[in-house]
Amino acid sequence: MKTLSVTILATLLLALGCAGNYPAPTQAMADVQSADRSANELGAQNNPKAQLHLKLAEDQLKQAKTAMENDDNRAAERLLTRAKADAELAIALTREDQARVEEAKAVNQADAQRATNVAQGAVR
Amino acid sequence: MNRLNLLNTGLVLALASAGCATAAPPPDLVSARMSYNKAQHGDAAKINPADLYTAQKAIESAEQSFAKNGDTRETRDLAYVADRRAQIAESRAHATQATQRQQDTLSGMQADQTMQVKDTSAQLGRANQKLALQGQAMQNQTQQLEAERVAREAAEKRAAQAAADLAKFASVKQEARGMVITLSGGVLFTSAKSDLLPSAQVKLNSVAEALTQQDPDSKIVVEGHTDSQGGESYNQDLSQRRAQAVRDYLVSRGIAADRVTSQGFGYSRSIADNKSAEGRANNRRVEIVVQPKTTPTN
Repeated sequence: MKTLSVTILATLLLALGCAGNYPAPTQAMADVQSADRSANELGAQNNPKAQLHLKLAEDQLKQAKTAMENDDNRAAERLLTRAKADAELAIALTREDQARVEEAKAVNQADAQRATNVAQGAVR
Repeated sequence: MNRLNLLNTGLVLALASAGCATAAPPPDLVSARMSYNKAQHGDAAKINPADLYTAQKAIESAEQSFAKNGDTRETRDLAYVADRRAQIAESRAHATQATQRQQDTLSGMQADQTMQVKDTSAQLGRANQKLALQGQAMQNQTQQLEAERVAREAAEKRAAQAAADLAKFASVKQEARGMVITLSGGVLFTSAKSDLLPSAQVKLNSVAEALTQQDPDSKIVVEGHTDSQGGESYNQDLSQRRAQAVRDYLVSRGIAADRVTSQGFGYSRSIADNKSAEGRANNRRVEIVVQPKTTPTN
């Protein structure tokens, strides 16, 4: 009985020790929060392709916070790694769309200018 | 680069088959493989090798984890991240391409515009040159018109002056045979002579001036007339000589010789009674007839 108690205590201490020793991923948390802010500033929440990844990033960020509150730093870290990849993908997809919009604008502008030139008697 | 990619693909496939041997790959890994394959064979390889390399490293880690540990949470996390890394590499490549195309379009537009401005400037230059020539021509024309107007005014003034001068010593009438300028014989000659008096020359200058205003093609006949004093043949001869003297003087004043002829009529065309001194004075005269130009009949 006594031996059993000691074994349980030792196991508990070991488990607690492990959890307590794993450092809190504060830098990773800050990185993901920063990426999330950037994505929102770029308008990822309004971009059909990017909004799914923004949501995944934010959900996992929330879960990571909860995990950290429960001292499960390991889980928090892996959630943040996933969240960071999603947030960065949301940013990339939004920027890609914006670049395409700018390209289309330039093409329209060039067409309009050509039409104006022709209307004004351009030879070319 | 291609050899490296081939090597990597080989490694990935080898790892994948190793994984397959133990268990089916988790869906995250399947997605990651597809995304990486797409990125590797798409634009990312050419445009964005740095991000593609990151994606390659990520998928290699996922495959190694799967080969070593099977379908674990770590394998899934690594595959999840690898899938995103591959998509990021491709998306960034597309963005770069779109931006490049935008820049190309804008540069082309600018080049077009520059060319257009050049063309327009050249057109403007030519138009200005033409305009300047037209302006010069118009100025010349205006000057010419002004010179003509001044000349015409001067001519009209001279004609008016000549007509006024003429009216002082001659009568001018329009008759069926033409314009008739009648000069009294006493004004031009001393009695029984056919030499022009010096005062007559001044008067005939005015006549010549008036004649030059007439149609240069019209014919002029200088007619000499006398009174009936003296014999008929004497008067015929005198009238002829007087008409000739006037005609010669007019020619000397610039009337074309082939335009003007002279003829003596003696007293055969008296216009007044030869019995009175006044009538005889009226009959002694020189008539200058400007015949209207005979229009040729068709």
